[in-house]
Amino acid sequence: MNGTPLLRVEGLTRHFPLGHGLFGRRAGRVHALTELSFTLATGRTLALVGESGCGKTTAARAIAGLYRPDAGRVLFKGSDLAGLPRRARKDARRAMQMVFQDPFGSLNPRLTVGAIVGEPLVIHRVGTRAERRARVDDVMRGVGLDPRDGQRYPHEFSGGQRQRIAIARALVIEPDLIIADEPLSALDVSIQSQVLNLMKDLQEARGLAFLFITHDLAVVDTFADEVAVMYLGRLVELAPRDRLFAAPRHPYTRTLMAAVPVPGRGKRAPGSIPAGEVPSPITPPPGCPFHPRCPRALPVCRAEMPELEDDGGGSFVACHNPEPPPAFMPAGNIR
Amino acid sequence: MTRYIIQRLGESAVVIALMSFLIYALIGLMPGDPIDLMISSDPRLTPADAARLRAVYGLDRPLLERYLSWAVAALGGDFGNSRLHVRPVLDVMPTFLLNTVKLMGLSFVISVTVAIPAGVYAAARQNSRFDHIVNLLCFAGISVPVFWLALMLIIVFSVMIPILPASGVGSIGGGGVWDAVRHLVLPVTTLTIFSIGSYTRFVRAAMIEVLRQDYIRTALAKGAGRARVIWVHALRNAMIPVVTVVALSFGTLLSGALITETMFAYPGMGKLIYDSIMGNDYNMALVTLLFATAVTLAANLLADIAYAWLDPRISYGGSEGVRP
Amino acid sequence: MTALPPALIHVRRGMVTLFARRFLDHRLAVASAVVLALLALLAVAAPVAEWALGVDANAVSLAARFLPPSATHPLGTDELGRDLLARLLYGGRVSLIVGLAAALASAVIGTVIGLAAGYYGGKLDIVLMRLTDGVIALPLLPLLIVLAAVDLTKIGLPEALARDADVSLYRMVAIIALVSWTTVARLVRGATLSVREREFVLAATACGAGPLRIMTVHILPNVVSPIIVATTLSVGNVILLESVLSFLGLGIQPPIASWGNMLTGAQELIWSAPELVFWPGALIFLTVIAFNFLGDGLQDALDPRAIAR
Repeated sequence: MNGTPLLRVEGLTRHFPLGHGLFGRRAGRVHALTELSFTLATGRTLALVGESGCGKTTAARAIAGLYRPDAGRVLFKGSDLAGLPRRARKDARRAMQMVFQDPFGSLNPRLTVGAIVGEPLVIHRVGTRAERRARVDDVMRGVGLDPRDGQRYPHEFSGGQRQRIAIARALVIEPDLIIADEPLSALDVSIQSQVLNLMKDLQEARGLAFLFITHDLAVVDTFADEVAVMYLGRLVELAPRDRLFAAPRHPYTRTLMAAVPVPGRGKRAPGSIPAGEVPSPITPPPGCPFHPRCPRALPVCRAEMPELEDDGGGSFVACHNPEPPPAFMPAGNIR
Repeated sequence: MTRYIIQRLGESAVVIALMSFLIYALIGLMPGDPIDLMISSDPRLTPADAARLRAVYGLDRPLLERYLSWAVAALGGDFGNSRLHVRPVLDVMPTFLLNTVKLMGLSFVISVTVAIPAGVYAAARQNSRFDHIVNLLCFAGISVPVFWLALMLIIVFSVMIPILPASGVGSIGGGGVWDAVRHLVLPVTTLTIFSIGSYTRFVRAAMIEVLRQDYIRTALAKGAGRARVIWVHALRNAMIPVVTVVALSFGTLLSGALITETMFAYPGMGKLIYDSIMGNDYNMALVTLLFATAVTLAANLLADIAYAWLDPRISYGGSEGVRP
Repeated sequence: MTALPPALIHVRRGMVTLFARRFLDHRLAVASAVVLALLALLAVAAPVAEWALGVDANAVSLAARFLPPSATHPLGTDELGRDLLARLLYGGRVSLIVGLAAALASAVIGTVIGLAAGYYGGKLDIVLMRLTDGVIALPLLPLLIVLAAVDLTKIGLPEALARDADVSLYRMVAIIALVSWTTVARLVRGATLSVREREFVLAATACGAGPLRIMTVHILPNVVSPIIVATTLSVGNVILLESVLSFLGLGIQPPIASWGNMLTGAQELIWSAPELVFWPGALIFLTVIAFNFLGDGLQDALDPRAIAR
């Protein structure tokens, strides 16, 4: 570890006010993201997992600077993006690119693929027109597309190809970090692994860091170094991948894994599938947000919000009554 | 709701105030001014007299100052005298207003009576021959130049087959109710042809939209009487946008009335506005234009309130969306 | 709502063909396009017709007043002995030019206002939409009459310029554009609001694109359909407004012929020469209805509900 991490998120909070009710009554707000904190080092992958609606996408967008946070900050290479003047913030964004979930929505239907992939270069005024062309062709080859396809429009491509285009757009400016918001979920399973392998190869070749937002634990298992589990806008567990899969500490993580069998990780963990509905993020329950569904809930869980604490073994857990720690942890738990 | 109405009334007052200044300024830019008119009517006045008169009437003061003194007087109920009618502006307006209400009211009732059944029927039989004919006629109605339509009606019904009077509200010497009605026929027809066209289109579009909805399809599929579903359930829901649009159209209708009234020398508000603008009757022009603005604003407000009233899904608080 | 089913991808692929087919299905719109093309052609060819007939559209001849149709004057002559056909063709030029120019100008104003309001949102949106509502609430025709009657010398224009007939043409375009941008502004704002939330806009923002780039490169090309439809429909309205003002003697000034000002003296002609009253109005009617049908056809053909997005 050499001083400042690539990305450091501190207490990031974002609430969305709901529309006013009929004739001016305020209808409340959605607690989309509450006090998210983590760090991500150069060249590594952090997976942000959770059920849909848990605030993953909000987190990704707030980190990318698309939403102004209500509290907290995002330090990218040691500087707070929100505090930077416009020009500097634009420069900082060069090194942080985003890949979106929906490859049909994230490409402007009125631009050619070449224009889409080359847009970051135009925005950041990189090179001459010819140099940009060459770079676009290069990066398109890099993601397995034919550079001649640059003349065509997005609607002429399949979902997998479109996601490759989106990845090419993110790569063209040679960023250090790619924030990928569910980049696979809109794709067919067979295409998913292709795109995933592409991202892994690119990471190895270019030393990219990934903030990978997903609900798919199988993907997490093959790609992530560390895993952050979110529930109802809050971080409930943050742990190295192997440790998390071997011994989830938060009951929610455990139920999540029980619900989704992960290939190669043996049979389903004996545990209960979460009972009941996810509570509304508009009126989160008092205490731990998971307590209404938690098999290990104690009376204190109903009253007091647990803090995220270091369990001494490399995991951070926010739970009053965590699952027992593993009896044995293999040395060098991170790859 | 009350808060919303108060807020809107406040906004309307601001628009009226801005509008009054705009019109005041514009009218000052029209050819000639009151002193020029005096000079042209009295050749003995010298340029020195003119300058003195300007000072007396305050016409040499800056625009804003003149406007403010007008506004203060207006707020006190004094809108000045009409130059053409040589009477206080407010005394002149009622007769003209009444005539316009008669003309527009009659036209409105006829238009709605024709437009609703025609629009509903066309929507219920979309793409039928009837629908195509209605559509064609609607387009004709909204595309015809009103002044030319008036001229054509006069040529046909007053010149070629002289059965109807071409101008005024009554024959000289008075002719009773029948005479008054005869004088209304051509202006009302002119005004009505345009509004039938636009209303029918709105009714048809709104009905098509409603008939697409699942609950209507369900009702039809369940075997509810087709006529009942269309004329009761669907029409009731289609009326929401129609009411709004019809209220909004009052402004347009007033413009139509201006041309119609001018063409048929019908002494209504439209003709009053036109004559006062063209006749340098500044006070009258100012007040009548403001009145027209106020009517349009009131119609808009009523439309929005009616919309909120009819459609419980609409909220008027303005919501803050998610913004990048 | 994530991926489209494969079937819709094919629909999308044939978007242009689909548009063409849907438009061609709209027979009235196609007929209107043909009529408008013919009218435009005739208007452009006005000097040719003048030359072929050996007449001068502006030559006043008291000896030739109210001539019946003949070989030299296919539609006869007007109350000042001018050839009616030649004047109608020149009038068509003016009506079409004013209609197109004012509609385009108002489309530009409306697009800029709608984009800004929809994209920036917040206070700017509120102010711009209140402005739009305010303009919509104005009594349009009376206001246009006032604007058209304004004495240009009083705002500092030289006398010669203020009385110039050509200036009356620019002035018509300007004042009509000034009051008729509201429809486009509202439509563009609405479309912008929905396009703004699409992921490709977020993607460009995340990449560091500035507001100007977002609006011109990413939003504008995706909101052109409503602009095209509204502008086409507004051409008809503009022509109506121009003709009314010219008819009232406030619009296009003689000797330039316009369909509106050819009717200025019509109230005296209804007894003596009703056919002189018929032609200019009939052409206005034809042109306006053609633009309205064209706009209607474009609307159907570009209907987003019918085309997978």
